Amino acid sequence: MEKKTFPRTRIQWLWDNMKGKRFLFIVALFGTVLYNAFQLTIPFFSQKVVDEFIAGENAAANLANNRDRFLMLIGMMVGITVLRALVVYADCMAYEHVSQSVLYKVRNILFHKIEYQDMRFYNEYRTGDLMTRVTGDLDAIRHMVAWVVRMIIEAFSLMTATLVYFFSMNVRMTLWLMAIAPFILIIIRVFRIKVGPMHALLREKLAGMNTSAQENISGNRVVKAFAREDYEIKKFDESNRDYSETNQKTQMVWLKFYPYIESCANLMPVVLMVVGGTYLIRGELTMGQYVAFSGLIWALANPMRMLGNIMNEFQRFSAASAKDMEIYYSEPVIVDAPDAIDKPDRLKGEIEFKNVSFKFEDGKYPVLKNISFKAEPGQTVAIMGETGCGKTSLIHLIPRFYEPTSGEVLVDGINVNRYKLRQLRKNIGLATQDVLLYSDTIDGNIAFGDSHISKEEVLKFARYSQASEFIAKMPEGYDTIIGERGVGLSGGQKQRISLARALAVRPSILILDDTTSAVDMETEKQIQNSLRKLDFNCTKIIIAQRISTTKVADKIIVLKDGVIAEQGTHQELIAQKGYYYELVKLQAGEEVV
Amino acid sequence: MAGRNTYKEDEILETPFDYHHLLRAGSYIKPYSKKMILAFLISAVGGILALFSPMITQKALDDVVPAKDYRMLFILGGVLIGVFILSAIFATLRMRIMIKVSQGIIYDIRKDIFKHLQDLPFQYYDDRPHGKILIRVVNYVNSVSDMLSNGLINIILEVMNLLFIVVFMFIVDVKLSIVVVCGVPILAVFMLWIKSKQRKAWQNVSNKNSNLNAYLQENIVGARVTQIFAREEENAEIFSGLSDRCRKAWMWAVRYTNLVWPGIDTISVLVRAAIYIFALLVFVNGHYTVGTILAITSYAARFWQPIMNLGNIFNNFINNIAYLERIFETIDEPVTVKDADDAVEMKPIEGAVSFENVTFAYEEGKNVLHNVSFTVEPGESVALVGPTGAGKSTIVSLLSRFYNIERGRVLIDGQDISKVTLHSLRSQMGIMLQDSFIFSGTIKDNILYGKLDATDEEIEKAAETVCADAFIRNMPEGYMTEVKERGNVLSQGQKQLISFARTLISDPRILILDEATSSIDVQTEKALQQGLNAMLKGRTSCIIAHRLSTIKNCDKIMYIDEGGIVECGTHDELMQKRGAYYQLYTSQMDDIA
Repeated sequence: MEKKTFPRTRIQWLWDNMKGKRFLFIVALFGTVLYNAFQLTIPFFSQKVVDEFIAGENAAANLANNRDRFLMLIGMMVGITVLRALVVYADCMAYEHVSQSVLYKVRNILFHKIEYQDMRFYNEYRTGDLMTRVTGDLDAIRHMVAWVVRMIIEAFSLMTATLVYFFSMNVRMTLWLMAIAPFILIIIRVFRIKVGPMHALLREKLAGMNTSAQENISGNRVVKAFAREDYEIKKFDESNRDYSETNQKTQMVWLKFYPYIESCANLMPVVLMVVGGTYLIRGELTMGQYVAFSGLIWALANPMRMLGNIMNEFQRFSAASAKDMEIYYSEPVIVDAPDAIDKPDRLKGEIEFKNVSFKFEDGKYPVLKNISFKAEPGQTVAIMGETGCGKTSLIHLIPRFYEPTSGEVLVDGINVNRYKLRQLRKNIGLATQDVLLYSDTIDGNIAFGDSHISKEEVLKFARYSQASEFIAKMPEGYDTIIGERGVGLSGGQKQRISLARALAVRPSILILDDTTSAVDMETEKQIQNSLRKLDFNCTKIIIAQRISTTKVADKIIVLKDGVIAEQGTHQELIAQKGYYYELVKLQAGEEVV
Repeated sequence: MAGRNTYKEDEILETPFDYHHLLRAGSYIKPYSKKMILAFLISAVGGILALFSPMITQKALDDVVPAKDYRMLFILGGVLIGVFILSAIFATLRMRIMIKVSQGIIYDIRKDIFKHLQDLPFQYYDDRPHGKILIRVVNYVNSVSDMLSNGLINIILEVMNLLFIVVFMFIVDVKLSIVVVCGVPILAVFMLWIKSKQRKAWQNVSNKNSNLNAYLQENIVGARVTQIFAREEENAEIFSGLSDRCRKAWMWAVRYTNLVWPGIDTISVLVRAAIYIFALLVFVNGHYTVGTILAITSYAARFWQPIMNLGNIFNNFINNIAYLERIFETIDEPVTVKDADDAVEMKPIEGAVSFENVTFAYEEGKNVLHNVSFTVEPGESVALVGPTGAGKSTIVSLLSRFYNIERGRVLIDGQDISKVTLHSLRSQMGIMLQDSFIFSGTIKDNILYGKLDATDEEIEKAAETVCADAFIRNMPEGYMTEVKERGNVLSQGQKQLISFARTLISDPRILILDEATSSIDVQTEKALQQGLNAMLKGRTSCIIAHRLSTIKNCDKIMYIDEGGIVECGTHDELMQKRGAYYQLYTSQMDDIA
């Protein structure tokens, strides 16, 4: 795994995202110090009660004469406890509030980042990877702010307060006790080095398991079609076991260090007994002081113990935040040019390709070579060609999903990279091959591109795409909820909803990427008819396999291995007797010839 | 489809919580009971061992220091170190066992939930966003493990601890002990109140997280659709709304959760104050000795420690039960399509298929197929044609028993398919679905999915048959090229070819092609058909296609509309009949010519 560098360190990053809540966070930190201070004062009061009214020399007399002071001390004890409880509660809530804000903020930013990424990014990350980053990994960051930080402050404030008190009593004794600290720190340091990579590995395994489950769920139809349930169970079992074992190993690392840290922390009372005992014998320490040391030794030893655990949690945070920062600081390559022109109006829809060549970043061969053609506003251009010849890549250059390697793609005479992406894409309606619908109502899916359109318009666009009939037959009509990816609908039905969705934005450029492949011919003919009679002006780029679709186009482009092999109208191409002609013959079957 | 869930609404929990869930959780603990008992014993021994340390210090102070016996002091120091090291070792041992146990429990639960998911029919996946299923498998399971493993041991330990202390306390003084124990009912009321609030609150948290996960998953999968519609901002807003609801639900839930610790702490100090007051002011007649009061206060403090720990465990239980409920809900989800109790293995299929008066509805009362009957002889090829949404895909999916039929029978080789095991049935069928899901992995892996033990030659042969070999070889790493489920490495047509190869390599007895070639260009399709014809010899096949030229030569053509067979016969027969098929065919030919 390569190490990625980020513009900010993890802590700086956390601090950046705490903006707006920083003050509250600092208050919360002070709150932690405060309640730990209370923690140390409560024993003070109960000690006083014991000394003055129970165990002391004049206890009985004091109780008889000084009942008010007794009640006052009790009152103080209870009062401070209640106060402390309130501070603890408020403090915890403050941490929760800050951590939830950070979580909320980072989660939204990550979502935003994911939304705006280009294809390069989606080739790199699997859905399960991204899901893990926005859920599991983020939770580790929440935990850091809500809990780990509090524990760190608690450990240090407790330790500092105790040390100050100890030093004020007996410097040498305190120094003896402190002599153990360096050992613990060294152990923790070594631990950190060992456990860090384990946590990083654990995040990977979690993402792997998430991916395995996610793909199984998404591909459930394929799994069942091949009766591969057992295989899937085995496959998932591997990632499940892998994650579980890595988790165990990570915890075992902690376990390897735990006895040493624990024993070191426990050395403190031993040192106190032996050294303190020696001082007692020599008369260099009073019994009262010894009791005081022994009463508070836990406040020194416990934080030392906790440090190991804190380091463990910190490493978890560290590994998770590295994963999240990767997304957080990722930038899409395809962005608005700094001097992009502002063109909020509707475009005319003239499209021109000038010597466009294109190659995928990791690709061996160019996908498109020297493509040049022009579509006037309102024209229909059909694109044909063999599977994998670059049709989809070509149309993806228009909304700028990719940048051409050379040449220019112009819309209304302006290079697409000069537009603001949002404004450009708002003018384009694209119905993709792989229909992705959302688990929402049919109405919501059609109005996806423009949620403000009226019910009547939704109906109209459904009519245009020949979807109104089957929708009307559904139990709840337009309010029928269709499952994720449109499950429950046939392929042709999905395609028609996707078409209605593309039309509903009233695009000046409509791109149909084989959108009617699963629609029966009869319906398709009707769709073609209504496409000709749209109530808005629109240039259509249609990828199609069927001659029935292409023959009415103003221009037909035949792609072959990334170059334009033939270009012209139906009649012209038939006359050319080339690839297109062969296609017509093929589709028509023998009769026509 | 009324029950279909989206990211917008919470899933209603059908089963009310009862403590059976905990008993049920017990079944996951059971396999580890020996280990847990061992861990418990180790903890108990460790605890007893720890009791020695105060005795050693006591001895040092009372005897050794006054005697100025340096040697003895060091010996005692050594003994103390020994005790601490031993107890550290015991603690490590316990942790080592418990890490294994808790990871084992997570692994087991996850395995069960995943296994059950494999048995659930399409309907389950169709009815809810996949992100909501995923979160149960991955995130929820992680949350409950600690509660089931360490939670349980700690409860036993703390309760035992508590019993010891109570006994000792009552031996010292009954009246004052009653004062101490009086705190318990107060605490019980407090905890019950919290519980009543918390259960709902944490259920809400789990619902909101589930909604967020659902939306997240859809958006990662559908990022390209979002981009083409330039809807990034709107979606980010919806996400941020869901994210905000998560935050609010969390903040609401922790309002109660965070009360537990300060609450118990306050009650414990109140009890201590009560001891002082009762001992010194109320029960004055009792003449308490200093020792008694000190003993009772010290026991009271110790009494509340385990209670506080129990409170925390209880708290944790309530939070996690919200997740546990969801996990069990999934595991309990009834499997509607399953092997009959007396199911037999499907013998090697000859290929005779018959539908006898099959009536089917996805939803009760909404029949998709009415009384469909037809027969196919072994080795015949049948084409299903007709408008989209007519029920063609439904008919073929019933052949693999993806759904249960309402009435009638589906027979293969005269055997009712509801009487054979699903695995033996489906593993003999080759179904090429409309939507070609590709798993992330290499191209080779994806083809192998159809036959796990296929050799490289077989893979290449299958790819050649579907005309995919050439383009695969042209890819950067050939068959070993990595593809991602959402990646752009493959075009839609190429994905279809690969899933075609995947189907062919499984050597199915009955081949079902549901729009298998819709995204493939006509020429490739033609070439593919030749390879396919050779392969299809002797096998029964069902083909759904819109391009009639591809199915003209089938042995039987069925025209499906409105959930029934309208016409059935060979191409020539149907053409002579001049019915629906004739209409369809001629209109297609007209379009092309």
